[in-house]
Amino acid sequence: MAEATKTAEATKTDFEPNIVAFLCNWCSYAGADLAGTSRIQYPPNVRVIRVMCSGRVNPLFIMNALQQGADGVLISGCHPGDCHYMQGNYFARRRFNLMRNFLEYVGIEPERVRMSWVSASEGAKWKGVIEEVVEGIKSVGPMDSFKRRQLNW
Amino acid sequence: MVDITKLRDIAKEVISRDDVRQVIGYRPGTYGFRARPAFVLEPADADELIFSPACINNLATYIVIEEKLPVPRGQEPDSRKVAVMVKGCDSRAIIQQLEEKAYDRDHVLVLGIPCEGVVDMDKVNARFPNVDKGDIALEGDKFVISFNGTKEEVAKDELLADKCKRCRYPTPLVSDEMLGDEVERFADDDFSDVEVLEKKSRDEKWAYWEEKFSRCARCYACRNACPMCYCEDCVLTRLEPMWMRRSVDISENTAYHIARAYHLAGRCIQCGACEQACPMDIPLMDLNRKFYKDVRELFDYEPGTDAEQPPLLSTFSVDDREDFIL
Repeated sequence: MAEATKTAEATKTDFEPNIVAFLCNWCSYAGADLAGTSRIQYPPNVRVIRVMCSGRVNPLFIMNALQQGADGVLISGCHPGDCHYMQGNYFARRRFNLMRNFLEYVGIEPERVRMSWVSASEGAKWKGVIEEVVEGIKSVGPMDSFKRRQLNW
Repeated sequence: MVDITKLRDIAKEVISRDDVRQVIGYRPGTYGFRARPAFVLEPADADELIFSPACINNLATYIVIEEKLPVPRGQEPDSRKVAVMVKGCDSRAIIQQLEEKAYDRDHVLVLGIPCEGVVDMDKVNARFPNVDKGDIALEGDKFVISFNGTKEEVAKDELLADKCKRCRYPTPLVSDEMLGDEVERFADDDFSDVEVLEKKSRDEKWAYWEEKFSRCARCYACRNACPMCYCEDCVLTRLEPMWMRRSVDISENTAYHIARAYHLAGRCIQCGACEQACPMDIPLMDLNRKFYKDVRELFDYEPGTDAEQPPLLSTFSVDDREDFIL
């Protein structure tokens, strides 16, 4: 029994999660770009999808990413008050707050869905965010509760 | 309860008016204890209208899901009002629809029915199975169930629907004409049922919901019964982008139920129509009530109480919580 839990623990930490990150065009995407051009090393588990604003991110995006095999989702936008469209990130924040509580309620680990504010000059913060997200997802293991079944005909 | 003759008289008077197209009310169903919606177009039809604790449907749904056929060239669309009978909970659906500008206030004529609670049909059918035709009436704190010449009295608590046990608005919040005397609030909502589920461990939660979700047959009865689900082009039936596939498995069912509940965040008015319509007994209200509770605690917002307030997710406050953001 103890050995079985040990192996389970080992697979949990060994596995490399796939993370879908929705980054806003004006801040977070530029922040991630800065991290790259500054040669900052951060875990390579993130697949970036650029959106024009964090307010563009529909909660259905999160569900769809998790269904299609992402182990976690990160939404990142400008700091409050810095939104290129003035208010988009405020709407996103409110929406995400409810979504996050709800996913926790139905038994999906809140570590899987995260939100962050990363501005265009915060390349170093981006690295920290990614490290924290990856660590969180590694601690909860692969997403298998409602991943879409792949049919091989 | 409401005086039936008064109800019919008022309905007759309303349908006789020039500016009213139809009256939506209740009439006896064809089997069991059920009542069904009645669409009254002629004054003579008003004679079959009833109101009893068996009138569980939320009639506000029919205002928004009515098909609007294109009008032939040269003709004017029928702009006459729709009169609808609403209980306390249904009236909140109308307020929420008005808040979302689904239609103008002039479009509806609201006949308010102060309601002392309706039954849960599942509880009734479990207690009195295989009854061809029966009636339910509320007398004091007892339901009087009559069928096949027999009469039985059952304590109100035993058959009362769960939503009524925590109803905070028994008297309609909006009405043009009230069909009865105001009812004192007889219950309160402490969200203890939601808290029980919240306190479970993560694995227990998923095990619980996995079992519920995997039961779903995806008949969309919950969506169709809901007074707030009235998008002409629903994301669930859209082919491009196809947010969730039609296959009935745990993945798509989970996505469906999360999407359905999320689309009601800050909009659900706790009428219980979805759970009532569900043939698989999925506790849909537990999902809706989580949002209802969160919305109340986080944003101090209660849907369907004030037609003037802006919809929750189309506004924001600079001071919204953000301790979960990295």
